[in-house]
Amino acid sequence: MPSWHQQLAGGTNSFNLTSTANSISEGDEEGSQILRWLSPLDPQQRHQDVRSDRLNSVGNWVLETSEFRKWCDAEDGCVEPVLFCYGNPGVGKTYVR
Amino acid sequence: MVIDNLCGEAVRKDIAVVGLYCDFLAKQAQSTANILGLMLKQLASKEEVSKHIQEAFKKAKKDFCGRALQPPDVVDILKATITSLPRLFICIDALDECTPKIRQELIESLREIVRVLPGARIFVTGRPHINHEVVTCFSEALCIPLSPAHGDITSYLEMRLDSDTDPKAMDVELRADIMRIIPEKVSEM
Repeated sequence: MPSWHQQLAGGTNSFNLTSTANSISEGDEEGSQILRWLSPLDPQQRHQDVRSDRLNSVGNWVLETSEFRKWCDAEDGCVEPVLFCYGNPGVGKTYVR
Repeated sequence: MVIDNLCGEAVRKDIAVVGLYCDFLAKQAQSTANILGLMLKQLASKEEVSKHIQEAFKKAKKDFCGRALQPPDVVDILKATITSLPRLFICIDALDECTPKIRQELIESLREIVRVLPGARIFVTGRPHINHEVVTCFSEALCIPLSPAHGDITSYLEMRLDSDTDPKAMDVELRADIMRIIPEKVSEM
């Protein structure tokens, strides 16, 4: 199961697994106040919806392009940091992201 | 998909993934600070980051009676945590859906982030008309044009036809027509 999914189940806002005792969490009042202060937006539900709607393997070709591999694997600053996937409305950009 | 793929890798490697999005329909809540703030919101579980966020929050409360987070604050906090941050992947969906002003501010902030964190990776989706804005700032940006792959369309159609709640309405001929005509029309998009 992807890491962010576990986090979602735990009610936190992170896509990432690592969590520590001193971290900010929605569990306490100050934590949720801080998280609201950082941003009122909440992409988690949206991500979840898109994810459950996407048919497995659709769009996987993007992950296999040389552009994606090059962008993803570059460990230093010598490869341009930006990968831009563009297309007209309805081609599936959101599902790819 | 890219976010999930990276999150899958995050389990094995030391990387952090944040997902941001722009949305035509949520104009009011969408400001540069709110969109960038999402980045910190998603990194808040990381100890080193949370320490700086807590400090910034206390300061904002004390100095300015609860001043809202500003775009430079986000960049400052990222700068302050640079050494402890793992490789950062930032995924932004629908960059074309925010106003040109916000887009400009976002792109500038991203440039600043990349200047401080050269290893940071930024994944952006958007309509073709913002291509020049992206390339102006990131001249060597890698670009992938998206169009529906034939195989993707047919497997999606098959899934939909197979899960039809009223299979009696379907016959072999209609199914064959659907499987032929829709991919044809889609590829003309």
